[in-house]
Amino acid sequence: MAEIIVVTSGKGGVGKTTTSASIACGLARRGKRVAVIDFDIGLRNLDLIMGCERRVVYDFVNVIHGECTLKQALIRDKRLDSLYVLAASQTRDKDALTADGVQRVLQELTDDGFDFILCDSPAGIEKGAHLAMYFADRAIVVVNPEVSSVRDSDRILGLLASKTKRAENGHGGVREHLLLTRYSPRRVATGEMMSVADVKEILGLDVVGVIPESADVLTASNAGMPVILNEQSIVARAYEDAVGRLLGETIPLRYIEEPKKGFFARLFGG
Amino acid sequence: MSRAAAATEDIALEIRFGPLDLAQVRLRTLDPGAVLDELTGRVATAPRFFDRTAVGLDLSLLDKEPQPDELRAVVEAIRRAGMLPVGLVNGPPYVEAVARALELPTLAQFRPPTRPPPVLQAAPAAPAALPGAPSGASAGAPLPTPSAPVSAPSQPEPPALLHHQPVRSGQRLYARNKDLVVTAAVGAGAEVMADGCVHVYGPLRGRAMAGAHGDATARVFCQEFRAELVSVAGVFRVFETLPAELAGRPVQAWLEENDLRLAPIG
Repeated sequence: MAEIIVVTSGKGGVGKTTTSASIACGLARRGKRVAVIDFDIGLRNLDLIMGCERRVVYDFVNVIHGECTLKQALIRDKRLDSLYVLAASQTRDKDALTADGVQRVLQELTDDGFDFILCDSPAGIEKGAHLAMYFADRAIVVVNPEVSSVRDSDRILGLLASKTKRAENGHGGVREHLLLTRYSPRRVATGEMMSVADVKEILGLDVVGVIPESADVLTASNAGMPVILNEQSIVARAYEDAVGRLLGETIPLRYIEEPKKGFFARLFGG
Repeated sequence: MSRAAAATEDIALEIRFGPLDLAQVRLRTLDPGAVLDELTGRVATAPRFFDRTAVGLDLSLLDKEPQPDELRAVVEAIRRAGMLPVGLVNGPPYVEAVARALELPTLAQFRPPTRPPPVLQAAPAAPAALPGAPSGASAGAPLPTPSAPVSAPSQPEPPALLHHQPVRSGQRLYARNKDLVVTAAVGAGAEVMADGCVHVYGPLRGRAMAGAHGDATARVFCQEFRAELVSVAGVFRVFETLPAELAGRPVQAWLEENDLRLAPIG
């Protein structure tokens, strides 16, 4: 039985696609059969982050309109063979999506034996975002520790609790997880940035992970390699921890404290 | 003296609008004798409470349309019992015509009060706790019991609209004809409203509006005050900065002579 996870936020640019790509890779690396779908019709970027942009022949909208089969549109990842990408259309827009069409594609992926289907939501609260969350079993709400991102995420949490199939059927609603991204312990210590506790207090949810701010994320997008695959990066390790927690493991939060400078670093100004 | 000043001093009267607390008498019979007997008994149990009290007549339970003369006899009976009918409650289509004939106004279908009004019996009965009845409703009033056909709502309404999930930014909750109780946070950008009181057992970061239909006795209560806007019966205040004595504390808001007041609770 496939589990459908929407990666959403409300606010744009907080790390949804980065997260979708890394979480998808993390799950596939543990042997799960994973499909990740880009719902940002017209502004597609999941294919860039995954590094398969030159292999997109058919896209999500083609499948919905019956112009090709799902198998023809799914792009198998070169690094992880149980991971597949369904790219968005670049030439059309959100009106090309239909609830019916989306449901059919998700059902076909479920029937095909996928364990996880990740839906990379666009920013905003309109049709694309609505359809990305509508059929979800779980949601990863990506939040930056910053006031407008937190406000938008609060709105999204409200929509997850009311405008999804699970909410409407009374099947206990969508399971919500918060993922804090672009976290800088140093700025939190100086009081410039909201802390994990501040965000938890306002949104009333525990975090499933805290991803530190890092230049590695930009490097990864440029290289078309999801950051979780970069062994050297603390971002990769933080995403790995998040994947573990999603699968039910208990892992303490890392990278939330300012690293203490060693004696020599302080002496020589590290 | 300027013309404007002279004009003000010459004005004979002012007209003001406001909510009115009115009991309603729901008639089940047009027999003036029966009405007089029933009401006389009730007024006797609490003369100070009922004597010369203004009442609206609700005709919706009658099984046939009353003729103006029939109704006139009933109105006379009610007056003899000591109550003062001041209008007919709007409802069945004939009410307008009958009201005209009796030279009485038609009153809007007013909402039942958020708590059932005290209903008195001729003989003292064993006190029964009424859900939602305030424990010290009015000093000296007999304990409320639900039974008589006059003035108690036929089905007990739930006391309040209860909400146990966080109210998220952009969500709106409205409790019609009752109180609203939220046992979680109200987020910034969320709105919680009630015709009665608004109670937030959690942080209030959004907007809270009590007495939405004009009940000036409604109040807003919250456990942690961080509200953007608070309103009672339409009188509102925006909080650009949270006053130090209120911020983060349990606070209540109420109207005192059309002025919105806020104070920490306890």
